[in-house]
Amino acid sequence: MERITELMTSQNTISNLNQQLNQLSATENELSTGLSINEPSDNPYGASLAIQLNGQLSALTSYTGNVSDGTAWTSQADSSLMDINEQVQSVQELVVQAANGTSTPAQLDADATEVNQLIAGIKQDASAQYDGQYIFSGTDTTTAPYQAGSNDAYQGNSGAIQRSIGPGAAPVQVNTDISQLLGNGQTVSGQPAGDGLLLNTLRNIAGDMQAGSTASLGNDLTDLQTNMGTLGQMQANVGAVQDQLQMASSRIQNLQTEVQTQLSSTEDVNMAQTMTQYSTEQASYNAALQASASVLQTDSLANFLSS
Amino acid sequence: MPISSFMGLQSALSGLEANQEAIQTTSNNIANASTPGYTDEAAVMTENYALTIPNGSGGVQLGTGVDVNTISRASDQYLNNSYRAQNTVASYASTESTTLGQVQSELNEPSSTGISSQLSAFWSSWSDLANDPTGPTSQAARQTVIDDGTTLAQGLNSLSDQLSSMQSQVAQQYSDLTGTGGELQSYANQIATLNGDIAEAQQGGMNANQLEDQRDQAINNLSSLGTVSYSAAPNGELTVAFGGAATPLVSGTTVNWPPTITSTPGGELGALVSLSGPGGQIDSYLTDLGNVAGALVSTVNNLSPGTPFFNPSDTTAATIAVAATASTIQTTTTGNPGANDVALAIAGLSGGQADQLYGAFVAQVGQDTQTAQNNQQTSQTLLTAINSQVQSVSGVSLDQEMTNLLTYQQGYEASAKVMTAMQSMLETLITQVGAGL
Repeated sequence: MERITELMTSQNTISNLNQQLNQLSATENELSTGLSINEPSDNPYGASLAIQLNGQLSALTSYTGNVSDGTAWTSQADSSLMDINEQVQSVQELVVQAANGTSTPAQLDADATEVNQLIAGIKQDASAQYDGQYIFSGTDTTTAPYQAGSNDAYQGNSGAIQRSIGPGAAPVQVNTDISQLLGNGQTVSGQPAGDGLLLNTLRNIAGDMQAGSTASLGNDLTDLQTNMGTLGQMQANVGAVQDQLQMASSRIQNLQTEVQTQLSSTEDVNMAQTMTQYSTEQASYNAALQASASVLQTDSLANFLSS
Repeated sequence: MPISSFMGLQSALSGLEANQEAIQTTSNNIANASTPGYTDEAAVMTENYALTIPNGSGGVQLGTGVDVNTISRASDQYLNNSYRAQNTVASYASTESTTLGQVQSELNEPSSTGISSQLSAFWSSWSDLANDPTGPTSQAARQTVIDDGTTLAQGLNSLSDQLSSMQSQVAQQYSDLTGTGGELQSYANQIATLNGDIAEAQQGGMNANQLEDQRDQAINNLSSLGTVSYSAAPNGELTVAFGGAATPLVSGTTVNWPPTITSTPGGELGALVSLSGPGGQIDSYLTDLGNVAGALVSTVNNLSPGTPFFNPSDTTAATIAVAATASTIQTTTTGNPGANDVALAIAGLSGGQADQLYGAFVAQVGQDTQTAQNNQQTSQTLLTAINSQVQSVSGVSLDQEMTNLLTYQQGYEASAKVMTAMQSMLETLITQVGAGL
């Protein structure tokens, strides 16, 4: 039978109480921070997972910002193209009227002036800005795509401006190359007749009206309708990009929820479970204290020996 | 053959004396019941040489009382040895776990202020800049990239500094312990001095119990610094080898100073060496952190045209620094103000090599710390268990002492009673027989 000494009892008591108190304090720490991983050693794999998931959340927040920026950018493009469309339709009406051959030269003159004004308006619409940047100048965003006045040459470039809209998703181009619609007017070198694009067509219409050559207006109308087809195509493209951004946005939201859930299950304390554990540990610590107190107060033989 | 009339008095006297000494020993045990390193003592009583009284058939042997032959120590060398071996292990684990705990808290992970968050913020700021390479708020976006990059670089610098200074603190602690006037020398000197004292006492035929207690205690202390083994000489001196070195630290009364210390001395010193030494644990953390910094510099710089974003010659965690300014940051390789290909590509590094290396580094520190903490708990539990066994053998049990006290007290009283009886017998003899003279 083992011999028990007083020092043994007291040392064991201290060591046991210490152990319980350590456990209690660890649980207390979990409860007060709400986190089951407060230090990497609490769960090394979980800690690195939590770091990775937090990084993903931060990246997703960035993607959300990118999507809303892209959306603003394309909305601006959409409304500018809509304005251009309205103005082109006004031109079309004027051309149809003029082509009837019933207009007087004075009326045709006035029509020509109106077409020129619409050209200026269209160029102004093309110079739309978002956040101080010209949205139709390619990546040359500090230069307006078209100059006011008679120079119809495109001043921008064909560079793509992209927004990255999600992990693994290809970046989406948010700008539109408006030179595909408006062209370079009649100033293009080597093409004396012009490029047949919208500004070229509009200038021809204004010229034909001024010259009173109603016969040519028929050809102009055909050109104009071709250009309108291009415009419609361009608007559809912008709409498609907007849809894509919309979808990206809801996909990012889903991912955020997913990552958040995963993060929470990795590092958050299961309150109900931990509270229960805490109460149990507290009760057992109290019991241990009580027991230790009575063990340490246990009488030795000395208390029973009469003097 | 007659015996001396006073012989009984002598026997009673030896009983009184022996019980007195035993009571003194008991009293000393009770007084030292809580003294660290104290070993329970017992008065070992032996019967005195008997007086042979011849008679017709040969003779009878008449007892002549009792003598306290020696005061013994309840010490078990095997238990002491296992206590010391475990003490060495526990001390290693506790030193390692404390230091790694400090390393881990320097990381401050997972949190919203650690380097992982600084990395995320840095990538986010590039993403914001990609959305806004030229606009009126672009200047702010550029400045944010510079600021977040600087915060990140400084975060790495300061973590690297802290790890380095922890490394030198640990190395300092090692040289303090092993240097002249340090703990190691002090224990070695104590043991050598006590060796001399004990040998002297034994030569004089005395027990040197409290000196042996002190020497055991000094060896216990030594065993927390590193592994200890020893052999005893017949004269009571111990030759003590330390830390696995071939040359003993103490031979007899000589301390071999400066000591030979191997690269794996075990105990506190062993932990300090493995933490701070070249290629040690802190060194490997610095390398890991350096790889994070290196990956950051190379991946970001590879994508930055013109002025590199990070200073390309400073690729360690201690030196990494932002070289670009808000006006030199390039968002594109094309020179077009609205192009953002570079910014997009750098923002796309989020979750890439640098992040992964850092995550692995944190996991490594966490894993090492967890292992060290588990070792510490296990070895501490074992040490407590062995200590309990040592106490069971060598500790003072008050119940036992009280029982002994009672026994010796009654022995003393009985001897006194014998003395009274003898006195009365002698008185009878002298007054009755002597009265007629």
